[in-house]
Amino acid sequence: MDATRNGHDAREYKSDLKPIWCPGCGDFGVLTALTRALANVGRPPHEIALVSGIGCSSRIPGYTTAYGFNSVHGRALPIAQGIKLANPDLLVIAAGGDGDGFSIGGGHLPHVVRRNVDLTYIVMDNQVYGLTKGQLSPTAALGTHTVTSPEGSLEAPVNPLLYVLAYGARFVAQGTPADMAGLSAILEEAIRFPGFAFVNVQSPCVTFGAPEQQLKAHKEGLKQLAKIDYDPTHRMKAMALAQTYGRELWTGVFYRDPSPPPTYDALVRERQRALAADALPRERILELFAQHDGEPGRAEA
Amino acid sequence: MSGQDDRTRLAATPGIDFAHLTLRDALDLAVLIEAEAQERYEELAQQMATHDSPAPAAFFRAMAVNEAKHGAQLAERRRALFADAPRTVTRAMLWDVEAPDYDEARAFMSAHEAMRVALRAEKKAHVFFSTALPEIGDPGVEHLFTELCAEEVVHQDLVKAELAKLPPEREAGDDDFADEPNAQ
Ligand SMILES: Cc1ncc(C[n+]2csc(CCOP(=O)(O)OP(=O)(O)O)c2C)c(N)n1
Ligand code: SF4
Repeated sequence: MDATRNGHDAREYKSDLKPIWCPGCGDFGVLTALTRALANVGRPPHEIALVSGIGCSSRIPGYTTAYGFNSVHGRALPIAQGIKLANPDLLVIAAGGDGDGFSIGGGHLPHVVRRNVDLTYIVMDNQVYGLTKGQLSPTAALGTHTVTSPEGSLEAPVNPLLYVLAYGARFVAQGTPADMAGLSAILEEAIRFPGFAFVNVQSPCVTFGAPEQQLKAHKEGLKQLAKIDYDPTHRMKAMALAQTYGRELWTGVFYRDPSPPPTYDALVRERQRALAADALPRERILELFAQHDGEPGRAEA
Repeated sequence: MSGQDDRTRLAATPGIDFAHLTLRDALDLAVLIEAEAQERYEELAQQMATHDSPAPAAFFRAMAVNEAKHGAQLAERRRALFADAPRTVTRAMLWDVEAPDYDEARAFMSAHEAMRVALRAEKKAHVFFSTALPEIGDPGVEHLFTELCAEEVVHQDLVKAELAKLPPEREAGDDDFADEPNAQ
């Protein structure tokens, strides 16, 4: 009865397992926005795989009815790529925290981008390690005080938007659960994008995050690209905008390749078909084997 | 609420053209708004139960029941007027109109705080209907929105009355704060 425009209901995508996130955690909004986006996209839950690493945010697969894999810290992307290549018909989403994606898992990011596997990567960026109770994360601003940087951090933060743009990502966006309608629309667009799509969600940690990073601050400082005359088809302009990360909260699609090339999974499928067409029939292989008496090295002789 | 907030509320109903909203659509919208609020209160009640906070959990559960009742009344009215005529407004067209925002909840919040969350949500809904009113074209919809506006004020009064019945709030103690870091 409460179906969205294509007949699917967001509640179909929420599982019976109830989230144990701290009340007020940004991840609640991400879950709701994601399930609404999935309902709009309209693929049934059994055609979707949601893969995560380890962290509070990485619990998200369990809270949906899609196939889920709460895997190993930092390994959401390699596992998601494997799933997509093994079963290209699945809609594959990888998700996790900024620690998961940009610290321990940071090495996978350039490779998934350059391969351009057709999957969506959602990072719930809270600038802290939530699950392990408040250590410094790679996206935390210089000078951030945490249990592992009691005097203030001395390291410049990673800029996720700039990194993925520089790696060559073809869809790059940012959202916040402070604007649920906007976030859900961004996630839907990312899921529909044919190729690797990256969404950085500013999803605050109410328990260990800084006050200026909470949703209340987002609601006050939010700047929506949809409300200005912004053309998301220019990578260099997107990179200039991405420089504002950590200072201003711009939401929307920073960059979308206007003519995305074939994805890695599509190319692999094509290559497999070509190789299969050229391959010798099984009977002929057995015949050749019999001719050589099965002796190793005879074929080369 | 400021003008900026009012605009934000209208922006949270993508695809709804208030100027051309029919009474049937408006009733459907009102039913969906109640359903969204009911679901959110159920979620908040569950969050509180998970975090060992029975008093706010019970209050949020009661709010979910109220929203369900109100939704059922509106749905009945819709059926009486328009029977099974198809619906054109969907849940995709509204966000957090009467549902409290997720960031309103806090671990170990008091019953007082929970009631203030509901009060803010009722005010938010009032702002939504009153801001939309000048844009409405259909007199039947205008009447319905005026009525819903007034109901939101009644709901606020009910919550205020409940709040007044509570004993004074206690100060937060050391136990209300987070533990030391751990490894997982
Ligand atoms: C190999 C390995 N190293 C370290 C950890 C400990 N660990 C678990 S979650 C986590 C970081 C969590 O932060 P983030 O990924 O940002 O997610 P959040 O909890 O903030 O959502 C760490 C370091 C682990 N589980 N496995
Ligand atoms: S610790 Fe932080 S990130 Fe983890 S559930 Fe709580 S608020 Fe969310």
